[in-house]
Formats: sequence, C-alpha cells, structure tokens
Amino acid sequence: MTPSSPTRGNLDGIRVLDLTREPGFLAGKLLAELGADVVKVEPPDGDPARRRPPFRGGIGSLVWLALNTSKRGITLALDRPRGRELFLRLVARADVVIDTPTAHSFGWDELHRQNPRLVHVAVTPFGEDGPYAQWRGSDLTAVATSGNLFSTGDPDRPPVRCTMPVSHYHGGIEAAVAVVFALLARERTGEGQHVDVALQEAMVMPNIGTAAMYAMTGNRGARAGAFMRQERSVMREIWPCKDGFVSFALRGGPARIPGLVAMVRYMDEHGMASDALKAIDWTRYNHNLLTQEQVDALSAEFGTFFRSKTMSELYRAACERNLMLAPINDAREIVASRQLAARGFFVDVDDADGPLRHPGAFAISNATRIGIRRPAPRLGEHTAEVLAEVGVDAAALARLRAEDIV
Amino acid sequence: MTALFAGTTILEFGGGAAGPVATRYFADHGATVIRVESRQRPDFLRTLRLTPTSPGGLDGAHHFAVLNANKLSVALNLSRPEAIALARRLALRVDAVAENFAPGAMAKWGLDYASLVKDRPDLVMISTCLNGQTGPERHYPGFGGQGSALAGFNHLTGWPDREPVGPFGTITDSLSPRFAALLLASALLHRARTGEGQHIDLAQVEGGIVCLAEAIVTYTANGEILARMGDRSRHAAPHGVFPCAGNDRWVAIAVHDDDDWRRLVQAIGAPAWANDSALATVEGRLACVDDVERGLAEWTRGQSRRDVAARLQAAGIDAAPVEDFADLHEDPQLAHRGHFRPVEHAVLGRHPVETHAMRFSAMAPEIRLPAPRLGEHTEQVLRELLGIPADECARLKDAGVLD
Repeated sequence: MTPSSPTRGNLDGIRVLDLTREPGFLAGKLLAELGADVVKVEPPDGDPARRRPPFRGGIGSLVWLALNTSKRGITLALDRPRGRELFLRLVARADVVIDTPTAHSFGWDELHRQNPRLVHVAVTPFGEDGPYAQWRGSDLTAVATSGNLFSTGDPDRPPVRCTMPVSHYHGGIEAAVAVVFALLARERTGEGQHVDVALQEAMVMPNIGTAAMYAMTGNRGARAGAFMRQERSVMREIWPCKDGFVSFALRGGPARIPGLVAMVRYMDEHGMASDALKAIDWTRYNHNLLTQEQVDALSAEFGTFFRSKTMSELYRAACERNLMLAPINDAREIVASRQLAARGFFVDVDDADGPLRHPGAFAISNATRIGIRRPAPRLGEHTAEVLAEVGVDAAALARLRAEDIV
Repeated sequence: MTALFAGTTILEFGGGAAGPVATRYFADHGATVIRVESRQRPDFLRTLRLTPTSPGGLDGAHHFAVLNANKLSVALNLSRPEAIALARRLALRVDAVAENFAPGAMAKWGLDYASLVKDRPDLVMISTCLNGQTGPERHYPGFGGQGSALAGFNHLTGWPDREPVGPFGTITDSLSPRFAALLLASALLHRARTGEGQHIDLAQVEGGIVCLAEAIVTYTANGEILARMGDRSRHAAPHGVFPCAGNDRWVAIAVHDDDDWRRLVQAIGAPAWANDSALATVEGRLACVDDVERGLAEWTRGQSRRDVAARLQAAGIDAAPVEDFADLHEDPQLAHRGHFRPVEHAVLGRHPVETHAMRFSAMAPEIRLPAPRLGEHTEQVLRELLGIPADECARLKDAGVLD
C-alpha cells in the first residue's frame, strides 16, 4: 500500500448487521470491503460454519476465515427476549440488516417499526413467497432449478455442479447490489425497504441469456463436456496439454480470428502446422459453417500441438502473441500468478494464528479504498465494543454473559 | 416511488455479456443506458450465430436481444475523429460511463478516465476486462471461457476422472456484471454524499478469485488443493443428482445431516440397505458413498422427478427437479417472481427477457424497451443530449461518422 492509497470507502459510515449463514457471507464481506461497518451477529455457540472443515491449524474454519474478512463480530442469543431486545437497539442505529432467515429471525414489519430508514435484505433459496418458498434448498438445489446444472457436465453422466457453491457467490453479490440500490433509493425517499433475494433466480442469469432464448431457439440445453455445440458441429474447448488442461476455442468472429491466425503461426514455428492448416483463408472462416469432419481435422492438429506444451508455456505464449488460450488453473497456479503479484492482489491478513494469504480487493478505485480491512472476527471478539456503542456497560455485559445472552 | 434511476444516464462502450449485463441492473430500474456501437466492429453477440441468411442481420441476434433490453443504441464509427468528438461530448454529459474494451482502447480514442476527468471532475467510470487495466498480462485477450479457466472455476467443475468442464455459461461473465453493478452503484452513492467521482478497474478474473476465497486460503493455509468432485460434498452424503423417469431427467437430493438422513430413510420406505446403522452418521455415509448413491438411485429411477422432489420436500428434505431451459419457463416459482418478462422486438417479435434476483418492497424492475437495433437511437440521442439538429445528423451520417 503506497502512502497515496485512498483511505475512504464508498460505503463509509454505513452500519450493517449481518445475520447471515454461509449462503450470505459474501454479501457482508463485499459491503465491508467497500467501507461499511459490518457487524456479524452469531449465536453464543458460534455460526455453524465455524465448525466446518477444512480447518487452519486444526482450529479456524477456512470457509469462515475466507468469507468473513473485514467484519466485526458479536454473539447474541436471538432466541431469548433479552437478546432480541439488544438486537433491536442495534437496529435502531443501523442502516442495513442482511439475513438468511432462520426460525429466530426478525420480520420486516418489526424491523421497519424499529427503524423506518432500515434496509433489510433476506437471502433465501427460492424467495420468501411463492410455491417453493417453504422448500428447503441449498446450492445444489438452487443450481438444479436454474437450468445451469442441466447443461453442466458430460453428456454420458448426470448433470454436475461446481464443487464450490457458486449460487452463494451469485446470490451474495446480488444481495450487496440490492443493499446499495436500496440505500440510493433512501437518499431520495428517506425510507428503507425490504428486499427478497433468491438463489434459484440468481442462478438463471449465469446461463448468459440462453434460458430466455429458449423461446426463440427451442434449445432446452444439453451437456457437452469439454466441448461446445455450434450450428453444424461440436467443437472441443478444453484440451489436454503436457501437464494439465487448457481452454481454447476454434470459434471465429472478428474478435477471435487474429488469435487463430497467431496460433497457426506459433504452431508453424514449431514445425507443427500442416500445409492444409496454413492454407486456410481465415478472413473467410466461419465456424458455424464447418462440418464435423472439418472440425475433427482441425482439432487433431491443434490437439497434438497442445499435448507437446505445458500450461505455463502455452499461457506465456498466449500473453505474448494474443492467443485466446487459458490454462485451467488451480489454487497453486493462481497464487503464483505474476499478473496478480504485479497488481498486489494477494494480501497477508494477520489473524490470531498468524498471517494468512487471502485474495484481496475485488476491484481497484483511484479515489476510494476497496479491500480487506481486518481478519474475520474470532467468536465474540467485538461483543463488548459493539454493545458499548448502544450503552451496555461492563457490569451489564457481565450479567449478559452470566445469563448466556452473549 | 418513480423508478430509482429515472433521470440517470449511463453511457456504455463494449459488448458481450460482462459489461452489458451490468448496466441492465440500472436500466431495469429506470436508467437511460446508451450503447455506443459501430457497424465497423459490431458487438460479437450480434455476430455469434450470424450467417449470410440470418433474418435481420446484426439486428436479429437472439443473444444480443435477450441481454440488451431497455437500452438505446448510438452508432459512432470511432475510427473517425468527428465520431470520437461526439462520444466524448456524450461521456461528459452523462452520469456514468461503463466500458469493457481491451485495456488501452479507450485511451487510444482519448476517452479514458484520465482524459475525460479533466473536463468532468466528478466523473464516475468503470472499466472491466479479464486481467485488469495494469500488470504484465493486461493485454491478454479473452472472453469468459478464458476468465473462468484463469480464475479456477473450470478446475473445480466436472468429474475427478474426466476433463474439467467449467460451469455452463462462462461464469466470470455472470459474476463480473454483478460486481460491476455493485461498484457502480456504490460509486454513485459516494458521489451523491461527497461530490467525488472515481474510476474503477474491475478485473473479471480477480472478482472470480475473491468468490473462490475458500479454495485459495485452503491452499495458502494448508497446501491443500481443492478439486472437482462431481456432485458430491465433503460435508454431506448423499449429495447428488439421481436418475428419474424420462429421457435425461434427474432429481437433485442433498442430505445435510444425520436428521435429514433419518427422514430420508423413512420417506423412501426404510429399505434394508438404508437401515444399516453404519449409515447413521455422515462419516459412515461418506465412507460408503458409492453404495448409498446406488441405493438411492434405485429408488428414484422410474419415478417422476417432480413427484420425488415434492415427496422428499414434504418430509423436510432438500430436493428439487433438475430443470432444463424449457422447464424454467414452466417453473411456478420463477413465474411467481416474474423472472421472464415479454418484450416486442422489431425482428424477433415477442420474446422473453430476464430480470434480476432481487425484489424490492418499494420499487419494481420494468422492461420498457426491446434491445435496440444497431444505431436505432443515434439521431434521438444526439438531438436530446447534445442538441445536434437533424440536418447536421444527416451530414454526419452521409460522411460515415454515424456508422
């Protein structure tokens, strides 16, 4: 961080109470990393995610540490009258409550009575009303009912999800958008509002329009594995290379043709481009007009070349020669990236067990600070500090502790 | 209340999904979003399936139409100095500028933040590309397919014994518009409260990696590399997709804990294999997950996916039919929320477009306009925003500036 780095955040001064379980963690993290004061409110025995492996050094749950950075943390028993009363005192001076509602959550009416300027965002699997509102849901079933699962995976196997819960990421960012939209509206009206964010619905947009296009194309979707369907053929998009896999498309269009031309030149420099390949007039190339036989012939030649190179050799060449080719990175390759290093993306965050390297800012602003403010809170780390802000003194806090309210 | 962004104008440069999907958030809540386009280099979504016989040509692309409803289109051939001057005047006049060209393209035209801010001190502008505006790999070209691979999503999606596949739909193209909407909205709030503008550099790969923070810190803390594991979970079993009656029909079932398992065993009629006490704990079920999945598949096979889901949900178990794109248009929950909304398009006729996943108590998204034909609103925008009269527009058009 240079001395001239901005210190103010876009959401400085916004107070958020974060009641979410894991599907909503990202929303509060993003708001906090834009400058909001986000207070995570957990039951006295801690959020269930704290007990979920893998752990750091046998103690800290890594999903907790990863997705609750920049928040303060308190414990409060919301199933007890005294705990609920204290929460409402926090609500009176808060701007936002975000929640993944549970049996002990607060309804909008009660929150709105307490603070008419409050913005309340509830993230649920399917939405708060409607025929599936009472259904149980999770990442798997949200993705299943979005069209996204059906078309992900290999044609000869069941549909497959991303092993990480992408609906939580999509829904978490959507919830953060909802918060800021509602805050912008409040600038004008002075009133807060309630927002209902559904993970199922959040997962439809990641089909990038294909779901809406069904009405015109009749395309119900299909799994193509490492391939992509074109008008007259299927084309490989994920290719084995010497030490892993790379993503590369034989698709055309003005944005892609220069990359195909450059790839053929690269192959030719290694004596691996046939005369037939070199003879192609790329200015007239249209992948939608190719037959499967033509695609297979091209693929054999590109595939042989990729198998002779490593992921890093191919990606280095892609950067130097403007090839539209990407390595299938895992965490090790991502952490070793020279591009991310040059941008100062990874940051070492000091928590109780020592520094831990995290992905840092999700964007960079020239004028405001975006990025991690503090490590994820230890259980109850800020209880005394936060409750003192609503007038709970040390003696009162001791009584609350004795009664297991905090 | 009137629409949240009524009176707000956003100027958009670029194409594909990552940029244009972001501004739809604002357009659906009343913003005037003006796309700057050119026939000389059309948005690739206008050409993705283009053949010489495609109805409507550049104006008939389904993919462009479903992503760009509620926007206006201005045709400006930015290889012409007069067109650049008009783009600059528009950029200085509007409330925010969004662009997703390759880094350096806007600077080449003098339309980058550093250049614009001299004449518009409170400019709010967002630039988004794969690798960001700085760094040695900033010029690396790519679409969402490359972003998904670089950010680690492909590696984490698929079967352990097969090639990685990546989630359908190039996920950085859908995560980054959400990030961009959040960043742009927060910048507008900051300007409303302080008067200060800003330029935001959103690298789509970095946004994706922030989402996968759990996988990253699992590696930096313990050296463990998380990898794709089909539909299974490290924390729960059974957790997967099971065959049902019909061609390519499936039901998703997630048993999160031992109480869920007891309810599931009852709901499927307590078959002998499921009553094995070794399966009463998640550790026990994970240890013989192949057998558990096989047993459950025997029960689901031949039943309707909707019946299985309804029956298991009635028993308090997390289960849902796997829906394809056709099914979504019959999904009662999406219908209840009004996810798909009809719009009338000059070439394509009446077709659905999507809106977002958030429903506000005091305002509602609205689809007012179909996606624009290329340059459909050129004269209107130049007249209304810049006061350029019709005869001057005609001259510029004849000169190839508005192309």
